[in-house]
Amino acid sequence: MKKLLAALCGLMIVAAGQALAQDKEKLSIAALRFVSSSPIFIAQEKGYFAAEGLEVEIKFFEAAQPIAVATAGGDTDLGITGFTGGFYNLAGKGALKVIAAQSREEPGYDFVAYVVNAKAHEAGFKSVTQFPGKTVGITTVGSTFHYNLGKLAEKRNFKLEDVQLKPLQSIPNVMAALKGAQVDAVLLPANNAYALEKEGAGKIIGWVHQETPWQLGGLFANTKVVETRRPAVEKFVRAYQKACADYAEGLLQKDAQGQRTFGPKADELIAIIQKYVEPKPSVEQVKGSASYIDPQGRLLVNDIYSQVRWYQANGMVDKTVDTSKILDLNFVKGHLDLPKR
Amino acid sequence: MPERSETSRPVPFRGGGFHYVPRKAVPWIGFVLVLTLWQALCSFGVISPLFLPSPEAIGVALWRLSESGAIFSHLGWSLQRILAGWAIGTAAGLLVGLTMGIFSAARSLGLPFVSALFPIPKIALLPLLILWFGIGEPSKIAVIALGVFFPTVISAYTACDSVPRNLIRMGQSFGLSGQTIVSEILLPGAMPGILSGFRISASIALILVVAAEMIGAQHGIGAFILSAGNLMQTDQLLAGVVMLSILGLLISFILGRVETWVLRWR
Repeated sequence: MKKLLAALCGLMIVAAGQALAQDKEKLSIAALRFVSSSPIFIAQEKGYFAAEGLEVEIKFFEAAQPIAVATAGGDTDLGITGFTGGFYNLAGKGALKVIAAQSREEPGYDFVAYVVNAKAHEAGFKSVTQFPGKTVGITTVGSTFHYNLGKLAEKRNFKLEDVQLKPLQSIPNVMAALKGAQVDAVLLPANNAYALEKEGAGKIIGWVHQETPWQLGGLFANTKVVETRRPAVEKFVRAYQKACADYAEGLLQKDAQGQRTFGPKADELIAIIQKYVEPKPSVEQVKGSASYIDPQGRLLVNDIYSQVRWYQANGMVDKTVDTSKILDLNFVKGHLDLPKR
Repeated sequence: MPERSETSRPVPFRGGGFHYVPRKAVPWIGFVLVLTLWQALCSFGVISPLFLPSPEAIGVALWRLSESGAIFSHLGWSLQRILAGWAIGTAAGLLVGLTMGIFSAARSLGLPFVSALFPIPKIALLPLLILWFGIGEPSKIAVIALGVFFPTVISAYTACDSVPRNLIRMGQSFGLSGQTIVSEILLPGAMPGILSGFRISASIALILVVAAEMIGAQHGIGAFILSAGNLMQTDQLLAGVVMLSILGLLISFILGRVETWVLRWR
């Protein structure tokens, strides 16, 4: 009996010890293997999460939509990806809260390009004002590319209905359609756009940041996690912001002429990014697709309101969605462009 | 022997049952029960609208779609693609299938090809079809036609096989020409088989129109369902599915009518 008690005591001590060792709070985040998820990779590799006492598991997905779905459904605690119509519909049902910024289209930082096929370019399609009457390949209805074109229409005073949109489901399909001259123009991320120009299949006629700068993506959390595990999410955001600052210092610098420069700090970050992004990008590709991310993770708040309004006006987001309810602005101080009350 | 008749007892009739008698009210009751249960689970918050919208929400989505007229444009585009694709696939399939049913040489030549190509998911060929026909209407129609072609071939030649040979032999002994035997005995005899093949190929066309509208379609039920999925508008998505199943019921109703008309000689 004594022996048994002693054994039990021993077991308990061992178990307690293990519990102490595993005292790190666990959080999971859904992300794409894209350069735009870099702050997560940096915070993980440089131990910023660990320093906050967090054990973060990164779960990878193939597209933006499943990330929002997984986070809304509680499969992961947080998610980081671009804002789409589908995202706002999910968030509008109360399942998600946007808490910090990911990429944004910032003047001077190439991210998404308007690309015209070589033939159409020769025939005179050289300006972003010439979209009416043309066929344009996009990935899906309600995608960021669809939104970009809608905003361009607003800015340049043409009707989006005058542009023939062809949803093609994936970026490789969009590229193939442009190469085959089955669409006049497409919207594509920088690396894909450069690749098409290099092959001579397309011409870049402009960049989204020159026309309609906007808040492209964000860090968001499952509403229940925000409500019940707020301190853990606060720790996560602190580590995330630290990584954003690193990212901005390494990859978003400009020289006196306004050209982007990449110093020795960039090399360290690029090595980290290359470890996570698939297919593994070259150093040049990382530089080419390093989108602008606010150094403190601050959101362009007003822009999110205007995005939801646009999707609602075009029947892609439910009219009942209340933007103020999908935002929790208390995690990051000093968000930009706050709406006037 | 009379004692025996005293112990005998009347034997009740034990036949009956084990054959299908349609009960008209049962399907409706079942339908209403399932819908009520579903609506109740949603109304009392057991099922979150995030995961499954209520029948009411689906109804509202359908109503809005018909109010704006969008539903008719989607149905119109899809019907157009289905009709064109199904007509082309069926015409070609009947031609090849009947030839294979009548001529042994054609069967020997065609069967290996049909057997090899039939199981290929036609949707896997979509990128290839887009290269050949572009992202416009022809590639969508081609996917449906291709999907309809093979089952039609198979149902046509097996229907020819199922025509009783003694009828053909009788025609031959009465001295009918080969042509008359084909048009008066073989084709009418094969019709039931061919028509039930139509039911299968029509539902294949319905499945494929959704897939075909994945690429480069702005209108159509498939495009609508897909974009609702991309936008996470689950009520709209299910409204699209309801449209699709109504379309399916409509097609099967029309085919039923065609069947009774064509087979009125039976």
